[in-house]
Amino acid sequence: MSNHSSITVKKRVGSLFLMWAIVTLSLIGRLFWVQIAQNDHYRKLALDQRLYPIPVDARRGAIRDIKGRELAISVSADAVYAIPADVDDPLDTAKQISKILGLDAEDVRKKLSETQATVWIDRRVEPERASALRKLNLKGIGFVERGQRFYPKDRLAAHVLGIVGIDNQGLEGIEVWYDSFLEGVDGQIRSERDATGKEIPGGITQFIPPVDGNDLYLTIDEVIQYIAERELEKGMAELKAKRGMILAMNPKTGAILAMASRPAYNPNRYFEEPDFLRRNPMVSDIYEPGSTFKIVTAAAALEEGIVRPDDTFYDPGQIKIADRYVRCWLAGGHGTQTFLEATENSCNVVFATLGVELGQERFYRYIQAFGFGNPLGIDYPGEAAGLLQRIKNVGPVELANIAFGQGISATPLQLLSALSAIANGGTLMRPQLVSKMVDPDGVIIKEFKPDPIRQVISKETSKELSLILESVVANGSGFRAQVPGYRVAGKTGTAEKPEAGGYSEKRIGSFLGFAPVEDPKIAIIVIWDEPDVDISYGGVIAAPVFQGMLKDVLRYMEIPPTVSRGIGHDDITNQHVTVPNLIGDNPDNASKLLLARFGLDVSAKGTGTKVVRQTPAPGAKVPRGTTIILYLDEAESYNIEGEVIIPNVIGKTMKDVAIILSELGLRLETEGAGIAESIQPQYGTPVKRGTIVKVKFGPVLYD
Amino acid sequence: MSLDRRLLKKLDFTLITAVLVMCGIGLVFVYSATHRGVGYGQPEDPFAYSKRQLTIVFAGLACIAVILTLDYNLIRRVHFFLYWGNIAILILVLIVGRRISGAERWLKIGAVAVQPSEFSKVIIILTLSNFIADANINSGRDLIIAFLHVILPMGLVLLQNDLGTAMVFAGITISMLFVAGIRAKNLLTIAAVGALASPAVFFLGLKGYQRARILTFLNPYTDPTGTGYNVIQSTIAIGSGGFFGKGLFRSTQVRLNFLPAHHTDFIFSVIGEELGFLGGVAILVLYAIILWRCFQAASTAKDSFGQLVAAGITSMIFIHILINIGMTMGLMPVTGIPLPFLSYGGSSLMANLIAIGFVLNINMRCRKILF
Repeated sequence: MSNHSSITVKKRVGSLFLMWAIVTLSLIGRLFWVQIAQNDHYRKLALDQRLYPIPVDARRGAIRDIKGRELAISVSADAVYAIPADVDDPLDTAKQISKILGLDAEDVRKKLSETQATVWIDRRVEPERASALRKLNLKGIGFVERGQRFYPKDRLAAHVLGIVGIDNQGLEGIEVWYDSFLEGVDGQIRSERDATGKEIPGGITQFIPPVDGNDLYLTIDEVIQYIAERELEKGMAELKAKRGMILAMNPKTGAILAMASRPAYNPNRYFEEPDFLRRNPMVSDIYEPGSTFKIVTAAAALEEGIVRPDDTFYDPGQIKIADRYVRCWLAGGHGTQTFLEATENSCNVVFATLGVELGQERFYRYIQAFGFGNPLGIDYPGEAAGLLQRIKNVGPVELANIAFGQGISATPLQLLSALSAIANGGTLMRPQLVSKMVDPDGVIIKEFKPDPIRQVISKETSKELSLILESVVANGSGFRAQVPGYRVAGKTGTAEKPEAGGYSEKRIGSFLGFAPVEDPKIAIIVIWDEPDVDISYGGVIAAPVFQGMLKDVLRYMEIPPTVSRGIGHDDITNQHVTVPNLIGDNPDNASKLLLARFGLDVSAKGTGTKVVRQTPAPGAKVPRGTTIILYLDEAESYNIEGEVIIPNVIGKTMKDVAIILSELGLRLETEGAGIAESIQPQYGTPVKRGTIVKVKFGPVLYD
Repeated sequence: MSLDRRLLKKLDFTLITAVLVMCGIGLVFVYSATHRGVGYGQPEDPFAYSKRQLTIVFAGLACIAVILTLDYNLIRRVHFFLYWGNIAILILVLIVGRRISGAERWLKIGAVAVQPSEFSKVIIILTLSNFIADANINSGRDLIIAFLHVILPMGLVLLQNDLGTAMVFAGITISMLFVAGIRAKNLLTIAAVGALASPAVFFLGLKGYQRARILTFLNPYTDPTGTGYNVIQSTIAIGSGGFFGKGLFRSTQVRLNFLPAHHTDFIFSVIGEELGFLGGVAILVLYAIILWRCFQAASTAKDSFGQLVAAGITSMIFIHILINIGMTMGLMPVTGIPLPFLSYGGSSLMANLIAIGFVLNINMRCRKILF
């Protein structure tokens, strides 16, 4: 290279130096970017990677009933964690821990050998075990207090409350719906640790205190809830139903007062029970309401002026709509009746007529205005919308069916909300489960005001229909719901459970009602799903439960009785009913009807498939509880020699005795007054018709 | 030792001072990075590493003194032995070398472990300069000979799995050819061949871990706990230092063992964290002074050999700085290249001091009087 001048060398060395200058400048540029522009970012990264957090749980807020009684609370439990890097002898430590906590030593050893900063050994440790473990003072083992959910009343209101998971996160029910209000904000203890996770002696320790969760006050009243659950337990034992539900609401505000369902589960030990038990059928499940839906049909028809309470109808037992026959539940029909009576009788034919008359558009407008087909917006997860047929698929036959509650599905909550709207003057209220939220210092954060959705019917219609429904309880199929001293309105329902291709033998018996009629304080729906009894009428199996609950709730709510006599008699057996015509009917069917709808006892005589004669005769007014004798063959009713058998009339009133004996063709000779004490000839004795029977009456004796 | 007083007058004290200051800074930060121990446990003697490093500084100064007494052109007489001795030792490393993190780089001589590849860089600069000084660098034949001259030791270093050093070899060679006056066309041809060969080298010549290092260099966060870890932790260290740094001996990244190899390859991260942007810039300025003096020596050397040796050494230091500091901030792949005069490590420090000795020698014997 000797041929190259030193000038070239200098130039080339110079350009190398220039390159170096560029490199230096770019390195400085990079330094500037990393150290100055991005300083905060890297400073944070550096701090974060050496501050290892140990969570400190926030106390989850309590769930209380409307009066502040605790339904779900947080109790402290110790949780044990390990910092594997600080554990010197994992094998020995694991042995000691597993002995005290009753865990598998090998599992614990594995946890102690993990490369994580912290591992949970056991997240819920009983206090005694925790203190025993604390005494050992094991290296690398730490304790934190964690809240543990506890439901002091076990199964009470389980479906409302829901459950929480292992980390106290809401999983179901109110617990999940209001999770963000209940959970609070977890705190942290952060301590400085080196790259392998060892704690640095004298290093930075930060404590970020947790923010406790808020308390929820439900609209549920623990006592009303308890009454509902008690009635359910009783009913389940008697009826052996697949499911039972009771839902109670303040009809004026939409506040849920009780929400109970059986079978239920214990939220403290939910993991031991099948998952399906946790489903809340009152909000999430739909069913065909049957006759209880007639309240909606009636409301629409009254509001539209299609019918007046005293309009008369004739029910021949069936009605032809389009090409189909819609039959009344009562074979032979109810005959001539007013609309009021038709509602008392729950006459399908009359309601079918009204449904058709309303027409698709009008009827659907009311159905939807009452909240059917859409969720109502209760503050609870998993609310079902219900099922409406598409309006374009609805012809007269469908209208007729919907009018008495078939071919439409709804949640119990929707039915009760619709009833509440009828009870409260016509406004559909959004159902609510929470009344207020209170922060950990006791300051009210939020109070939930009643939330009207819409006016569905006028005040006048509301009042009119309430009186009609009151009459259903006072005189009609709902008589078993009567509570002495109070004006009660309601409606029975017995739905056949639909199955593929039609309706099955399975039934849903229900009753919904409210009280007091003049100033409604509570509306209740009682539903029995697939009761395992012969008579599954809502009026027979649900109305008494309604009555049992209402009686106690009214007393608990300190609502004074307003009625002394008249409607709302103090003894339902003192009321008189008109004996229906059962001649020609199937005896089994007939006896059920008598019992269910009229409260009359039945005694069948003879063997046969049809009622040939009945006593007392159709049309007779008799007190509830009177025994109706059904003769199934002529021979039994009049024997060949014209002999009859002296009936047992002891304990009956003079009027009853007179009717019974006259039916048998016997002549009565009375002595005294009051109720029958003895009869001559003795009952069971065969005598000729026309024989004079002496009955001695005496005063009613009370114990 | 007959060092001419006239020559001594021409000794570049600026360079010596700059290098000594740099070595001093190195000692301080080796102490900072090691006084709590490397890895776990307090060391018996917190000064153990710095003391060893100080010994090397003295040994290196002694070497410089010896080198200064002799005219650098004497080297040309022993170039044959230097070159083939170097090759022999590199082969020996492959046979009996000690393996450290995937690379066989160490040769144990008695109690001292030596990294021959560090010295071989200086040796190749000397022998290649010897060849080019008398060759016509733009003739194809001489270019091929020069190429073969480098490719043999470079291949041996690659066989040691020392990709970084091989890259330094390539860089030094190209810089020297450039200074020697190679035509732009020829330089471009070499660059093109290199560019075409690099994918083949990447996929065939490199070990898995080397490929991984290059890939994570492109995006360290693809593997934050594996191969990208070093770069991430190093960048965090430097970045968290800010403008003034966390203060001397206050590196949390080192103290808490987040930063690996903090006294060797990542010593700059410690400086960046403890002294901040100011410290980092100061280091780069000090390097600029050292390199400025070296470039000066290269351009004023009395003969071609001197020019080439000085230029080669300058490039060597330059490339080391670029690769190492670039690596600590994620601009270069992680390749165990130490930072001259700062990183702990006897072979590297010794080789660099010897190299500085040659630069001083060349400068001292230049044509012009500089002062």
